[in-house]
Order: sequence, then structure tokens, then C-alpha cells
Amino acid sequence: MDETAQRLLGSADRLSRDPETEIDWDAPVGDGYGLSPEWSTLYGTSYWDELSVDQRRELTRHESASVATTGIWFEMILQQLILRDIYDKPPRTAEFQWALTEIADECRHSIMFARATAKLVEPAYRPRLLARELGRMFKTVATGESAYAAILVAEEVLDVMQRDWMRDRRVAPLVRTVNHIHVVEESRHMVFAREETRERLASAGRGRRWVSALVIAIAADMIVSSMVSPQVYANVGLDVDRAVREARRNEHHRSLLRTSCANLMDFLGSVGLLTPAAARVYRRTGLL
Amino acid sequence: MTFAISGECCSDASCVAVCPMNSIHPSPGEAGFGTGVSLFIDPRTCIDCGACADICPVDAAKPADRSAAEDVSRNAAYFAGSDPLAAMDLDTWEPPEYQVWGGGPRRVLVVGAGPAGMYATRELLLRTDAEVTLVDRLAEVGGLVRFGVAPDHPQTKQIIDTFERITRHPRARWRPGTTAEELLGRGGFDAVVHAVGARRSRRLGIVGEDSACTAEDFVAWCNGRPGAVLPVELNGPRVVVVGNGNVALDVARLLVSDDERLRSMDVAAGVRRVLGASGIREVVLLGRRGPEDAAYTESALQELQAMSGGRVTLKYHATPVAWTGADRTPSADRAASGASGAGRGLLLDGGELISAGTLVTAIGFEGDPIDGLPFDSARGTVPNVRGAVVGRPGHYVAGWIKRGARGGIGVNKACAQETVQTLVSSSRGAVSPGS
Repeated sequence: MDETAQRLLGSADRLSRDPETEIDWDAPVGDGYGLSPEWSTLYGTSYWDELSVDQRRELTRHESASVATTGIWFEMILQQLILRDIYDKPPRTAEFQWALTEIADECRHSIMFARATAKLVEPAYRPRLLARELGRMFKTVATGESAYAAILVAEEVLDVMQRDWMRDRRVAPLVRTVNHIHVVEESRHMVFAREETRERLASAGRGRRWVSALVIAIAADMIVSSMVSPQVYANVGLDVDRAVREARRNEHHRSLLRTSCANLMDFLGSVGLLTPAAARVYRRTGLL
Repeated sequence: MTFAISGECCSDASCVAVCPMNSIHPSPGEAGFGTGVSLFIDPRTCIDCGACADICPVDAAKPADRSAAEDVSRNAAYFAGSDPLAAMDLDTWEPPEYQVWGGGPRRVLVVGAGPAGMYATRELLLRTDAEVTLVDRLAEVGGLVRFGVAPDHPQTKQIIDTFERITRHPRARWRPGTTAEELLGRGGFDAVVHAVGARRSRRLGIVGEDSACTAEDFVAWCNGRPGAVLPVELNGPRVVVVGNGNVALDVARLLVSDDERLRSMDVAAGVRRVLGASGIREVVLLGRRGPEDAAYTESALQELQAMSGGRVTLKYHATPVAWTGADRTPSADRAASGASGAGRGLLLDGGELISAGTLVTAIGFEGDPIDGLPFDSARGTVPNVRGAVVGRPGHYVAGWIKRGARGGIGVNKACAQETVQTLVSSSRGAVSPGS
């Protein structure tokens, strides 16, 4: 573990990014999409076909702001999870120092996402109450592999979509840069979270593994279902009921989600966290 | 420090997709991808995050300080002639590509659980919500990865774990030891993906070839494929291996391995005994064309030269005309004695005789025709357009039977993606069984 942490510290030394100075926060956002249109929850539905180009662009900007807000919510949870985990560890170890580096990264990311969403759209988004309250409980009690694998879930799902958006010239330059900053720093976080998860599971018995697998799956469900708030559709002036209904049935969007979770599912399978009960949850959420 | 990719690379490009700095090339779509060469990490832009190593299914990506020096220099050399790609300039990245998925097939049959079939299954499970039935005539997944990869490359076989996980997916039905005909007769599939590979060895077409051993037989025997037997006796002190691909190099490596090296591999005691008793001291690796045309990868050649201690000789521009090493047929004897007077071994068209006790041919593979599907016998493949079988709606091909026997394990990922993309956008209605 310490070897990995040492290497990650070295890597952070080679390239850490400062959104404060790297992004020109005074520049106008322009009129790009908020995310790749193909990643819109309505892309491929009949509702999408009825929207004007302006409405589609506006929809993606709101969706992007909503996803970023979910990102902030989860980053706050994971900062607390990590802080609790290392609370009484020896500060001189690389593992301890890397953990604090990661918290610092996440702290900067949350500020970056907050500022970017404010530039992108007028209304502010928040995860729904149930997610917020479950998150409150999770950050207070989760430990070991449950904590680290849940961190991984949030990071992996976001990672694949953000890679698409950052490479897409139709997407607003601000969003592209924000996403690349996140992708670079998250790649180290994901390596760390996998390593921690593997290590914590090494001594876990069947019962604990079963419970952890289920907790992680439920956390994943909560994260994914919180990404795009129904309020998005209302704010763009769409029929919320119809939009929610069509988005839920959007097989194209589900296939993008499944693809972005492919590495995650493979990892969970390889460490024995894809138990039949957990697999049922992932299947219902549309990740498997 | 940075990372480096070794010659064990499977080229399935999972690492390319997770590298946050666009440091790994050639990526799918770039020149050089899919030609059998491994992938490389640009040390000038690698930030050492380790994401590639974390995802690598065959453990080929490693920190530079834990890699072989040759691997580190090979990675650096690949980029020597080009400017570093600035990941910060997001327009230097390939733009994302999307295929609109929606609807699509409900039930798909995938025939063959080798790499092409496994990647096709994975892709179907990701891209569609279809139920995928996977069959293989063997009892285990892996195909050539399990039974065709040399046993001294155990890392490459790690990908089997990934394949086995795919069979446990809730929408996958794994039917080992089953043939496609048994299931197709009952019908009910919206599409069939034939990923049966190309397992028939190409033939040299020379006199006496019937008493030579094909690479397929040799490697299957070494790997303990059920029912595989060595069709000839292994006789030293010299063996000729015809072929200049990585499979030929695999065979040469195994033939000159001493007992100690064999013990370090996952091979049966019987295989070790036969190899040990063969008295093989030397291998001549014969290329019908020059080294510039050789299909082996640089890293495979380096590995062979490093381990063989001079016991493997490379000979190029050699055209064999007859094999008289084991064969006692009059025609072969006449051919041999007519040219050089006497001796047993491999006769070349210039009249030279390479005396040898055993001949192994490793000049590539070709596919067998599939019942009910058209077949291009010149190429040994099923005629197809981006994976859709010509003239047979609902039938698709992936892997070697689709594109010919070239490209390593991971190249099948891009190949299967193309086929599944075609399938999802064109599959409609149930298919009829092969006629």
C-alpha cells in the first residue's frame, strides 16, 4: 500500500492542477453544450426529436450542472470517509499523506464544480432529500471496503462520461477543462481506492463480503439515480412527467451507463463484491 | 519514473481508455493498431498515475523501475520520431464516437468462447439488454488463450479470469461442451455471432508434409487441450520450424527449453518427459521470405534470442520442397536423394538439405467453412461487411473467421465492437438455423 501511495504522491508532484489559476473564470462561457448531446438523458427518445437545437443545448447545460452538483455532494461524503479512515494513522506514512492529498484534490474539485455550475446555468441543483439523508448516514458509519468501493463507484461512473465530454468540441470549453482536471486527478484516486478495497477485503469473510457488496450496490444506485434531477426538465420548460418517463426507458442512455460502469463491474467481480444480491441491484439500476 | 508496457501486451486497449494523459499508443483507429505489435507508453507525458497497470488484464503495464530495461527503451523508442502529444490541448484527443443503441435484439447466440466470442459477449451485454447464450465445443472459456498461448507466457492467460466473469453475468447463459447446431435447431435467436476462430493450420504443400507436426497440434498438446495428442515423434538433435510468426517463435522457445525451465511452466509431466527424451539441441527457424517480411514482433524475437543461448538459428529466403525426416515413402526418398544424394531432413529448392529429426509447420491458420454460411476459401474467412455475413441476415462473424488469422488477443475487442455495432443497428426478427 505504501508503495502505491508513494508513487501517487510522486505523480501528484509531476502534475497537479489548480483550477483557480488554470481557468479564466471571467471569460464568457459561450454557447456550447453542457455535455455531449449523446449523453443527455433524453437523447434518442421521441421527446428529444421534438426539441429545438436551443432547447437541447439548454437541457445539456442543466444536466451538466446537475451531474456536477451530484459530484460535489459525493466528494463531500468521501472527504469525510477518508478523514475518518486515517484519523489515527501515523502521519509520516505515504498512505496518510496521499489520503490528505486526495482530500485536498477533492476540496479543490468541489469548489471548481460549484463555480462552473454557477457560470453555466442560473438555477442551483441539489440531490434529492432521500439521497442527502442516506449520504449523511453513510458518511458517518461506512468503513473499510464499503467506504472505498463506494468512492470508486462515484468516481468511475463520472470518469467515463467526463472523458467523452472533455474531448467533444461541441461542449463548452469551460466544461471541457473542468472535466479534464477532474479526470487526471481522479485517475490517481481510483488507483488508490481499488488498492484500499483489495487490501480491506483480504481479511473479509463471506458474511462481511456479502453485506459490503450490498451496501456498495445500494450506494451506487443512490449515486446514479441522483445524477440528473427531474428539476432539470422543469427548468428547461419541458413536461417533467413525460421527460422522466422517456428518460427512464431510454435504452441508449442505459447502454452508455452500462459501458461507463464496465471497468467498475469487472473490478467488483474480481474482488468478490459482485454477489448475486448485489448483481440484482446493479441490474435494476441499469449498471449491469 | 513513468510506466512501460512489456511485450506480453494483449493490445485490447483498456489502458488507452483509462490513461488521463493520452500517453498510450497506437490507440484503436491509429496507424499500427491491430498489427500484432504491443502498445507503448510515452515516457515524456506519462504522469505515473498507474491507471494503465490497474486496468491491464495481462499485467503487461508496470512501473519503469520494475520493468525490464528493454521494455523501457522499447517504449521510449516508439515515440522517438514524434512530438509529445499535449494532453492539455484537448483537441489532440480523438473526439468521442457514439452509436445510438436502442431496442435491438432480445436473444443472441454467440458461438465460440475464445477471445473474439468473449469480447462479443461482453459488448452485447454492455450495449444491449439482450440475453446472450454463449456456446463452445470445449468445456472451458478461453479458446486459443487457454490452449494456443505458449505455457511460458502465463501472464497472457490471466485474461481468462476476465472471460470467466463475463460468463457469470446475469444476462449470460454459458453452455460449455455444446455445439451451435444443438441450439440453433430449436430456434428462438434474433441473431447469431459466429466467433469460431481459424484453427486449421495452413499447409506448405510439400512432399512428406503429412509426417510433420503443425503448430496447432504442438501448442494444443503442450497446453493439455482435451484430446490433443502429438501426431509425430519428437526427434533431435535438430528440429526445423517453418514460419516467422510469434507462434513459430513460441514453438522454438518450448523446444529448446531445458527441464528446469519446463518445470517452471504449467505443463503436464508427460509433456516434459517427451520434450526431455527428444534429444533436441537445436532449432532452425525457417522464413520463406526475408526478415523484413517476418510477422513476429520485435519483443518476441528478443525474448527468444535471450533465452535460447544460440541454439536457435534463423534462416530466411528458404523455400522448402520436401520433408524426408520421418517419412519413408518412396516419393519423398526419391525427392531427397534426387537432389542431394542422401540424408534425411528438409530439402530446400536450391538443393540444400537441412538435416533434422522433426519438422513443425507454423505458417498461419485458416478458417473452416461454417454450415449454411458462404465461405471465401482463398482467404479462409466468411464473407462479411463489418461483421454482417453477406447474404445471411441475422448471422454475424467476429474474430479470425471474420478478418483472417491475424492480430493478437486484444485486437478482437475492436473487432467484436464493430460486429456488435453492426448487429444492433441492423438485426431485426428471428434468424433461421444454418441450412
